[in-house]
Amino acid sequence: MRLDRTDPLAAFLLRSPIGALVDWVARVRASVQRKLLVAFLLITLLFIGMGAFSVLTIREMARQSDLLDRAHQRLEWSQQIHQSLAMQMHLTAMALLVRDEAAIASILRENNRFNEALGRLEEAVEEPERIVIQKVRAAQEEAMAVVADIANLVRDSKIEAATRLHGSREDPLYRSIDALVSQMVQQENARMVRLRDGLHAALERSLVVMGSFAAISVLLALAGGFVISWMLIRPVHAAHGLLHELAAGRFGGSVTVPNRDELGELAVQLSATSRELAHLDAEQRRAAHELATLNAKLQQASVAKSEFLANMSHELRTPLNAILGFTEMLTDGLYGPVPAEFREPLLDIQTNGRHLLRLINDVLDLSKIEAGRMELSLGEYSAEEVVNTVRASLRSLAEEKGLEFKTEIDASLPEVMLGDAKRITQCLLNLAGNALKFTKRGRVTLRAAREADLVHYSVSDTGIGIPADQLEAVFTEFRQLDATITREFGGTGLGLSITKKFVEMHGGRIWVESRLNEGSTFHFTIPLKSEVASTV
Amino acid sequence: MSRKTILYVEDNEFNRKIVRQLLAQTSYRLREAPDGESGVRAAQDELPDLILMDVQLPKMSGLDATRQLRADPRTANVPIIVITSYALSGDEQKARDAGATAYIAKPYSPRDLLSKIREIVPEA
Repeated sequence: MRLDRTDPLAAFLLRSPIGALVDWVARVRASVQRKLLVAFLLITLLFIGMGAFSVLTIREMARQSDLLDRAHQRLEWSQQIHQSLAMQMHLTAMALLVRDEAAIASILRENNRFNEALGRLEEAVEEPERIVIQKVRAAQEEAMAVVADIANLVRDSKIEAATRLHGSREDPLYRSIDALVSQMVQQENARMVRLRDGLHAALERSLVVMGSFAAISVLLALAGGFVISWMLIRPVHAAHGLLHELAAGRFGGSVTVPNRDELGELAVQLSATSRELAHLDAEQRRAAHELATLNAKLQQASVAKSEFLANMSHELRTPLNAILGFTEMLTDGLYGPVPAEFREPLLDIQTNGRHLLRLINDVLDLSKIEAGRMELSLGEYSAEEVVNTVRASLRSLAEEKGLEFKTEIDASLPEVMLGDAKRITQCLLNLAGNALKFTKRGRVTLRAAREADLVHYSVSDTGIGIPADQLEAVFTEFRQLDATITREFGGTGLGLSITKKFVEMHGGRIWVESRLNEGSTFHFTIPLKSEVASTV
Repeated sequence: MSRKTILYVEDNEFNRKIVRQLLAQTSYRLREAPDGESGVRAAQDELPDLILMDVQLPKMSGLDATRQLRADPRTANVPIIVITSYALSGDEQKARDAGATAYIAKPYSPRDLLSKIREIVPEA
């Protein structure tokens, strides 16, 4: 696996048990969509859980707060009872002093308030406190009976007896009630303090729990995100690595990922593609190697062929030298006068011997060119000299055939140009010789003209012409238009091919224009200062 | 003046015969050698007035023989006409580099050869 683009924290986590979890999730046989869905559901559930817990906590708080409220209420009632009791004691003392009906009525009113508050408290409290309340109520009822006796005594103006009763009965009764009520108030107070402390503790506890829950949720969500994203990133990295290798031309590598989902399939496909590419690459290399070997063999064969031709041409030339030499000496009368009837066959021997020599020369030239051993010998030359040489060589042939042979030289041509005069002469001899050969009447014109930094040679004739579809083929070796032409007009079939190669070696271009039965014009151009290609 | 001697180094009997018969009509004296080595020996022994040297020769090539003769003070100034069947550009230069006085391509016209000989070594 490639971790080169992974930051150090991720790399550390991937080596930890969470990395094993990434592997495990990758190995789960399910689609990526399903895995993502499950991961998001898990995270959502975490947050729903956290929300539910918050709601529960809030409810619990509300309940506690309600309890506190009620405790507060009870404390208030207890205090009211305490106050009413004090008022009753005070009013009873007052009634003894003022001996007034209204004061007694006030005691009764206060008693009612006391009973009312006691009743409300009794409803709100639980069993142990209720017993205390019942004791208070019983004592109060007894006290009220004493108050009623005292009231009657006061009405009968038996103040002394009333005061005695008050001192001996009512006062101790009130004191015991007061003790009970004080106890009650204390109890309620303690209860309220307990509740308040409990509420504070519960609040703190739920804050801690909520905080922990939130922290754990965030950690779990992060871990889930990490696992699910690295389950996706790792195969992508691996695929990227392989694609990088493939792009660099290193085929045959593979990716192994634990994923059993779309990404796993992708990795398998990628590896298969890489193997196939490696296979194709190897095949292509083998083919290229075979081709190169074959090419080298062909090259060798070509060189061997050219050497064979060169040797053969030498071997052929030696006896030909003897044939032509003896014939010339015969016709020159070196061996005595030649009988008239011998002259024609001797001339025929010479003509055919020369034709054979031309063939051998052309074959030798071509084989040298093809073996890459033909070199131009460049020097300064004059177009006029070259054209004049050609005219001098071919004048007798033109006269023999009764053809007009014209030459035209552009005055704007430089006096000296760079090129291989011997080869350019050979090219023009080939073209003009052909023109004379293939023209039965009319004229042949040889021109040399300047065209920017080129010299443009052309040879026009009024001969048989070349069909349009054969115009390119005429520059191919052994391509005379058909065998009858060879028989009728002679020629080696190599002249144009050699001419083309010499022109190209000079960095020039050759082409032909022709109309059947009207004539042909062969053109070639050579740079005035030719940059010479050593071989073609 | 005495007759001029010409040495012809050539392995082909027919070509030797042509030159032999060509020179028979003249006052030139002909010496012949069939290969490069005997050609060099003959030249050193005879000290001819002119040497006709074929290029493709057994034992020693005409160009090597020419070089050897040029290195020898006795034959260093003898005119040598090199005859080759490779009538191609560069051949003439090779012949001249080896020390040839003139160069003639095979097949040659006996007429032209004779006029070239006469040009370099006039008949006595």
